Amino acid sequence: MAGVVGFQRWVRALTRARVAGMPALLSASRAASGPSKGMLPGPYPNTPEERAAAAKKYNMRVEDYEPHPDNGEGFGDYPKLPDRSQHERDPWYSWDHPDLRRNWGEPMHWNFDMFIRNRVDTSPTVVPWHTACKHLFGFIGFMLFMFYVGEQFPAYQAVGPKQYPYNNLYLERGGDPDKQPEEVKNYEI
Amino acid sequence: MLTTIVTSSHLLVITLLILPILTTLNPSPVPPPWATSQVKTAVKLAFFVSLAPLIIFLNEGTEAIVTNWAWMNTLTFDINLSFKFDHYSIIFVPIALYVTWAILEFASWYMHADPQMNRFFKYLLTFLIAMIVLVSANNMFQFFIGWEGVGIMSFLLIGWWYGRTDANTAALQAVIYNRVGDIGLILTMAWLATNLNSWEMQHMFTASKDMNLTLPLMGLILAATGKSAQFGLHPWLPSAMEGPTPVSALLHSSTMVVAGIFLLIRLNPLMENNQMALTTCLCLGALTTLFTATCALTQNDIKKIVAFSTSSQLGLMMVTIGLNQPQLAFLHICTHAFFKAMLFLCSGSIIHSLNDEQDIRKMGGMHRLAPFTSTCLTIGSLALTGTPFLAGFFSKDAIIEAMNTSHLNAWALALTLLATSFTAVYSLRVVFFVSMGHPRFLPLSPLNENNPAVISPLKRLAWGSIIAGLLITSNLTPLKTPIMTMHPALKLSALIVTILGLLVALELASMTSKQVKVSPALSPHHFSNMLGYFPMITHRATPKVGLILGQTMASQTVDQTWLEKAGPKMITSAQLPLISTSSNMQQGSIKAYLSLFFMTLCLATLLINSL
Repeated sequence: MAGVVGFQRWVRALTRARVAGMPALLSASRAASGPSKGMLPGPYPNTPEERAAAAKKYNMRVEDYEPHPDNGEGFGDYPKLPDRSQHERDPWYSWDHPDLRRNWGEPMHWNFDMFIRNRVDTSPTVVPWHTACKHLFGFIGFMLFMFYVGEQFPAYQAVGPKQYPYNNLYLERGGDPDKQPEEVKNYEI
Repeated sequence: MLTTIVTSSHLLVITLLILPILTTLNPSPVPPPWATSQVKTAVKLAFFVSLAPLIIFLNEGTEAIVTNWAWMNTLTFDINLSFKFDHYSIIFVPIALYVTWAILEFASWYMHADPQMNRFFKYLLTFLIAMIVLVSANNMFQFFIGWEGVGIMSFLLIGWWYGRTDANTAALQAVIYNRVGDIGLILTMAWLATNLNSWEMQHMFTASKDMNLTLPLMGLILAATGKSAQFGLHPWLPSAMEGPTPVSALLHSSTMVVAGIFLLIRLNPLMENNQMALTTCLCLGALTTLFTATCALTQNDIKKIVAFSTSSQLGLMMVTIGLNQPQLAFLHICTHAFFKAMLFLCSGSIIHSLNDEQDIRKMGGMHRLAPFTSTCLTIGSLALTGTPFLAGFFSKDAIIEAMNTSHLNAWALALTLLATSFTAVYSLRVVFFVSMGHPRFLPLSPLNENNPAVISPLKRLAWGSIIAGLLITSNLTPLKTPIMTMHPALKLSALIVTILGLLVALELASMTSKQVKVSPALSPHHFSNMLGYFPMITHRATPKVGLILGQTMASQTVDQTWLEKAGPKMITSAQLPLISTSSNMQQGSIKAYLSLFFMTLCLATLLINSL
């Protein structure tokens, strides 16, 4: 009896419906655990008021807020943050989540899971990207070319065909021991 | 009778190593001295037990293949628990146990402040068991068990300090790069199972006599590239230095990284007749050895230099396999284990003495402050460069002689000789920055090498580095006849290039205190210091493209395709032109209708008349 009442209370809490029990669970009005309707991403903001409301929703300043372009890709009003990975953030600042270098409530990049410290690093390099690519692929290409050249001109080239003793290794090559092999002379006197 | 002793001793070795792990499988915690009292003792005892088969083998040449248990047998395919105690495993197991014994003793000092030292030793022991399973496996399935085992233990040990994100990244790198290599191994295993109908070594060698084995051999070479850090899949090895030094000494210098080379040595009968596979090994090995030696020249972290040195020697072993000399490659594995483990242990001793300082620019003068350690460092470096009559000489010189007298790719030969001279350069760089000169660190460092847990392992490994090469070569008959007669220049070429490298390095070292040029040439320095830009490009471009593509496909492309492009929008775009054309035609213009009516009438009359 107590179990049934507890179950009904649980269903009521989950669904925020006025009806308790299984019918409420099976209906579509179920509460998602997490952000409320006002916190979820919405449609593309067209007016300045909508932009301001969206910026407030994502905990950003109105000047910083920039939505993704409205070209049918389905981003809605989600902000377009610069493509900077977590590697570039200050390692010595006391973040709320030190391993992620992120504070609570900060807007998350669309590709946040790509920019964590185990994955892609966008920090500036000592050597520019195109120079690095040029050097590396130039090196690899040069090596492949030289290996090809080396295959054409092998070292330690033999000066003549190999000569084997014992009548060209007649017995070792599976010749008949009873038959007399043909004489192979590798010398001249 | 002797085969029984050989077999039983080896199985006893494996049992001795498994026993300490079994004592940890109950809920009660192990007593604190478990690591030293049980694990180290087990390894030491296992080493002495494994000497028995070694001596029997050296004396009589006894080899054994044992099939213990029919594990999974179907009508057409058998998988058994079978061990192959041939000369490779009989020699490798004592060496691995000897090196592990030294490393465990060192680790009891290095990790003494770690609250989970027992777990550390357990991981090292599990790794060792996986490695021994790998080297003594007689079928590919058992080999694969050992292969994956060492890969996973490597992941757990590199990420030992898992609170550090860089260590996590390095462990992930190791696992992912090894996985790419595993693709090759699994491809080969599948090919072998379907075409040769067996995974037992003997069956495979006989059944594959006249077959075209290029595809499985390429798979094997890919596997070795992943596991043994050849060029293309090499960045994980220097990153693996995030793990504690005993891990670097055991896994990433002596045992795990040679698993790939060992695979190629074991399956050498499949490779002997395939010229393409041999040439691939040769060229890949030569490229690896030169590339990683170049990267080692400008590194400042002592462990990274030794890691790149390991990678370079692995390239040399790959070159030897490409020369169709598996026994020389195996000899190099054995001698390399001693001096490389010793180099890592010396580095560990110096790092701890200088309060965890790993940058060689902040070391110096250790020659007077830690004489034993710097002596061992010097011995290890000399052995690495192939100083005559130390351990490295017997294997390295033999390899270079074999290269000089073989009919092979001239560029591979040139690269290997250049890499040999680079070895001398970076070895001198390490010794110069660490031992010579004046100290460049703060005065109050906890310098103390006067601990038997540090000295004894270094001493044992130093003895090994000095005499191992001599012992192994004088007791084993080579299976392939080495070429004995060659021009003196060819015979001495290894020594000449090493001395040249040494002289160049000494000259450069003497220039460090003078500024010769107004502005230095930065381009080659950057290439070497940033590891050839390979990690920078691969670790940024590849994951970015893959992840963005994955995200776009999952969240946008699939929906957009099915709900728009393949659905309503396509129908719309297909129908609209038709609709607009037909509705534009029918605009109620009487003239058009009249002309059409008359045209149809004329056509019909003509047709009827022509019939």
